Amino acid sequence: MTNDHDGVRELLAAWAVGALPPADAGAVPRHLAGCESCAAEAERLRTTVRLLDGAPGDARDGGARVGGARVGAGPAGQGRGGQARAGERGGGADGVLASALRGRRPRTPDVAPHARPYAAAVAGLHALVRELPGRWGTPVVHDWDAHATVAHLVAADEHLAVALGIGARLPASRIPAGTPAARAWELRTADAIAHEHARTPEETVATWAAQAADLLATPEARDPGAAARAATVMGLGLPVADHFVIRAFEAWIHTDDIGRALGIDVPPPPAEHLEQLVRLAVRILGLALHDAPPVLVEVIGTAHGTGWVLGADAEPVAAELTLDPVDFCLLVGGRYAPDEVPRGLAGDERAARNVLAAAASLAWL
Amino acid sequence: MEPTLEQPPIDVELHRRLVYGDESALRDAYAAYGALVRRVAVRVTQSQTAAEDVAQEVFAQLWTRPYGFDARRGSLRTWLSMLAHRRAVDWVRSEARHRRDARADDSALHAIPDAGPGPHETVVDRERSLLLHTALAELPRSQREVVHLAYFAGRTYRQAAVELGIPEGTAKTRLRSALRKLAESLADPPDPATARGA
Repeated sequence: MTNDHDGVRELLAAWAVGALPPADAGAVPRHLAGCESCAAEAERLRTTVRLLDGAPGDARDGGARVGGARVGAGPAGQGRGGQARAGERGGGADGVLASALRGRRPRTPDVAPHARPYAAAVAGLHALVRELPGRWGTPVVHDWDAHATVAHLVAADEHLAVALGIGARLPASRIPAGTPAARAWELRTADAIAHEHARTPEETVATWAAQAADLLATPEARDPGAAARAATVMGLGLPVADHFVIRAFEAWIHTDDIGRALGIDVPPPPAEHLEQLVRLAVRILGLALHDAPPVLVEVIGTAHGTGWVLGADAEPVAAELTLDPVDFCLLVGGRYAPDEVPRGLAGDERAARNVLAAAASLAWL
Repeated sequence: MEPTLEQPPIDVELHRRLVYGDESALRDAYAAYGALVRRVAVRVTQSQTAAEDVAQEVFAQLWTRPYGFDARRGSLRTWLSMLAHRRAVDWVRSEARHRRDARADDSALHAIPDAGPGPHETVVDRERSLLLHTALAELPRSQREVVHLAYFAGRTYRQAAVELGIPEGTAKTRLRSALRKLAESLADPPDPATARGA
């Protein structure tokens, strides 16, 4: 198609590396036959590519161009690093993958479905922490820097740890008996942050990681039967399985906080975990709204594609709300104000706002 | 036949699974890009053994530091290809350094002429090849991406343009600028000592 001098000249680099679409392929040799300056440029670029190939004179045919064994002895594949040797060393997928997985990253423990979101969230924070050296003082949320945010997670996870019989890793706090749960939570976090700020961020991460590993090693993390028993954590009486989901929620939200502060895009949890978070939040929200005007809440992408009617069940539905699952979680986590969260809305706006306000005021974190 | 183009959402999902510690995501990444990583490494190092080491390093890095890859900045294919290339260049440099040290010891002790790598021409080509790959590793990212897709990953310049989300003309121009710069580095080596890893 391209016959003109300028057009072919533009194509010479693509031609030299073999990246011309079939439609353009014929034009270059035709033009080169009659144009000395293009032929010289083509030769120069081809020589460059031949040297990049490493094997002078080899045709460019993708996989076969692994030659260059002339550096050593014999043809390709039998030189100083032939296929056979790679095989002996446990080469191929298994060797590469086994070696990669031996790297400095803790394996994600095999736990029951209710604890998988937490195991994954812990892995997610481990991954992010690798980006933090030199940036631990970055302000994150409230008046916490990244270091304090991890210290907060030590304190937050500790409530479930204690309920499951795991010894506290931080010195005890002097919190008077009868202090309301929310206030006790704040005091404990303040103590944890003060304590951890006297240590290195690496030590704080080690404490957090050890406690998380202990939680994931409990019978309650591995056995749905054991996790069915109720426990009161932070004034919330729920099955232990649900407390694990709440731990996942908090670990992810704070990982996301740290990511935002660093300008790193933290992906939302895998879809099936996100759905577990959504379902639990909807259930708790439903309790808080038991006598409110009923609203159909639909969260996009949940497995059954259905919604939940929240509120009094005697009346007809006053409004319909549609929310993205990540946005819904951010609302429940206090990362969206009720009037800021993106949503679809039909029907009575006041009833819908009531639901959003209730979701935001769950204030789990 | 043109290869199937990359779907960016696949990268996003793969990255999400890697971040959340899903080991099967690493297997999937290897199944999709392992051959490319090895191809890049073999072309630079001329050694299957070295390519194996490079592939191990590349996938270990993807696993232990998944946030090293940012899906907003490009595809996983180009990121892994560029990482493999840089690691392979480092491997050849350190190899050259070791060989030179060994030779220095050798000649000091025995003064035996080098019986090693064969004809002079091949050695010169080998050094020029390393010089080129070093120059390639130092090209601006935008040019390197096109070279990796068009040269190592076997994409046409049009497919590369689609994968990078740039106009075809831009892909052509970047490829041309890149290759010309490489050709110039041959004619006028910037600092041979750097290229040989001194």
